[in-house]
Amino acid sequence: MSEAVLSPAQLSARHLTRHFTTRVPGRFLTAKRVVRAVDDVSLDLFEGRVTAVVGESGSGKSVLARMLARIVTPTSGELVLEGSPIPVRSKRTLDYAAKVQLVLQDPYASINPVHRIRHSLERPLLIHGANKGEVETLAKAALSRVSLDPPERFVDRYPHELSGGQLQRVSIARALCVKPDVLLADEPISMLDVSVRLGILNLLRGLCDDERLAILYITHDIASARYIADETIVMYAGQIVERSRGTALVDEPTHPYTQLLISSVPDPSDPTSQDPQKREHATFEVANVGCRFAPRCPFAMDVCRTDDPPDFIVGEDHTSHCWLHASEPEAAVEVAPPKRRREGEPTKA
Amino acid sequence: MSADTFDIQAVSPMKEGPAERKGNAVANVERSEFVLEVNNFSVDYGVGENMVRAVNDVTLHLRRSKVLGVAGESGSGKSTLVYAMTRLLRAPGVISGGSVTLNFTSRDDEKEFTTLNLVTASEKELRKIRWSHVSIVLQSALSALNPVLRVGREFDEVLKTHRPDMSKAQRRARAVELLTMVGLNDDRLARYPHELSGGQRQRIMIALALALDPDLVIMDEPTTALDVVTQREIISELHDLRSRFGFALIFITHDLSLLVELADEIVVMYAGEIVERAGASELYEAPRHPYTLGLLNSFPPLHGPRRELSGIPGSPPDLSDLPAGCNFYPRCPFAMSRCENEAPALTAIENSDRSVACWLHSSDSSVPVPVELSRTVNPARNPVTTLKERP
Repeated sequence: MSEAVLSPAQLSARHLTRHFTTRVPGRFLTAKRVVRAVDDVSLDLFEGRVTAVVGESGSGKSVLARMLARIVTPTSGELVLEGSPIPVRSKRTLDYAAKVQLVLQDPYASINPVHRIRHSLERPLLIHGANKGEVETLAKAALSRVSLDPPERFVDRYPHELSGGQLQRVSIARALCVKPDVLLADEPISMLDVSVRLGILNLLRGLCDDERLAILYITHDIASARYIADETIVMYAGQIVERSRGTALVDEPTHPYTQLLISSVPDPSDPTSQDPQKREHATFEVANVGCRFAPRCPFAMDVCRTDDPPDFIVGEDHTSHCWLHASEPEAAVEVAPPKRRREGEPTKA
Repeated sequence: MSADTFDIQAVSPMKEGPAERKGNAVANVERSEFVLEVNNFSVDYGVGENMVRAVNDVTLHLRRSKVLGVAGESGSGKSTLVYAMTRLLRAPGVISGGSVTLNFTSRDDEKEFTTLNLVTASEKELRKIRWSHVSIVLQSALSALNPVLRVGREFDEVLKTHRPDMSKAQRRARAVELLTMVGLNDDRLARYPHELSGGQRQRIMIALALALDPDLVIMDEPTTALDVVTQREIISELHDLRSRFGFALIFITHDLSLLVELADEIVVMYAGEIVERAGASELYEAPRHPYTLGLLNSFPPLHGPRRELSGIPGSPPDLSDLPAGCNFYPRCPFAMSRCENEAPALTAIENSDRSVACWLHSSDSSVPVPVELSRTVNPARNPVTTLKERP
């Protein structure tokens, strides 16, 4: 994993931010409220590496994936593809789509049910300029890459004739057709049956190892992130709260939210995994001032309610967005870096 | 699979004498320790040549105030089983055999115990017991709640139908009480379903299911559409509610590790049949069926070294073209020649109260049981029992 640092990132996000404005009807006036879906997120996707983004519903992880795929326009921040910055306000180009592909959660909804599998695979090829003569070979090759063998058995089927796991493989094959460098997978296994989930995870890991793809794996299941990821990022309310290389984040979680995520995974082998105390739930209250997790945090201190913490280095390639890890919490307030440089930087040292 | 091999601890004793028939219901019987008894139950989809058997000869008994977990892949028949059991199954689903007996306390007279065979019950009788004695929570709360009604109306309608003597104010008070029970603020009553989060909607469904204090609640993958944090909250909520109200629960999910935490007993279904039945902790610590082992190994662990897992090879069987012998034979890592042609029956394992349908554990099997399937339960490191201190 260490050699990957040397090669430049395939795709980088710099201070990516997306705010949504909603209207809250009041008695006399309609107030505007800004939802900070993704706030100042920076990350790098390297070839041959799986980066996992973990968080519960509403943490902004899907919006992040859609911004990286340039389906959603960021409010601010920039994308860097293979070293060249991309103007965020511009439209997505065919070139970009050929390099960065997105796989969605629900294969039943993302593949056109009225066309044969062949159509779903050949269409992107034709759009991206393949010859009519070669599309069939390429489509079949893509199916073989995702272990749908023999491809002849699948190209002329309709989506309803395949199982969820097979369809998800088709949608991965469709993404791979155009030979992208970066694959963004948004909850690719959460809609699938237990017995096929591991197959998809192993497939993604294999694509990453054998074909040097850069993969962003988005999930709410931290155990599956631990299973395949080289770098794990935990998001809460639009911010990165903890990130680490390898399994350090799951094995030694330092942010209270990561700890909450881990303790939520059903784990009968661990007697402490089920705490009988009733949890504070679930209004997903996000603080506007201070640390966003403070309203739900069991360790919240005074400083958490007034100041947003910077990223503290808690280990090798491991940072935590939490005041608990300040050497002296009071002193840290004064030296906290300005907002713009607040996060992301230490990991890339 | 034959039912006589299944150890039925007791058949509901019917008292001689004053028991009286009211249609299909037999009233004034002795109180059974089981709330639900399912015997040799089979469900088909379609009839004639294209018939597919989705549930095959299932027998299970659920004691009062206990949690029964049903686990299995999609297509294993777990949802079909409960839909058919509660007579919610629509055509082309057909109940082709067996009986489902519900034992409950009649509302008209608190002391009168009644048994009702749900398979033969009329619509009128079903209407009486639905919701007040058996309620169901479905996977997708968004589609289960009427999108054009405020949440409060749903509560109001249930109570109005089943408790006609309640006044409007009483119904409202009960709805508020129910919402508080599941940890929601009463201002949610004025909301539409789309204004609530997935977790809140599922809480509403649970509150609705408990509205009439039922004897049995059935939950079909209630947390599958939710993320882990919300799932954990709902599960601990369920723990609480169960210890307070003591309803029996059938919980269907494909997540075995979740069931191990929640259930007292677990049945694992494969291709419409029960392949293993055991206490929750025994099943987790010492699975006996290769399929159970495969399901348990399908979840990446949170601890220990990272190693490649394979889950269960192959895909679920086509119910219209099942293997001649054991249904799991084509995918089984321990398959023997015998498995190819002979189907194993669900058989009780000696010196235990669990059963398994696998030739490996048959008494006349000459093949040694693989080490993965012969682990013993160590009661010392058994966290599950300590968590089940329920009344």
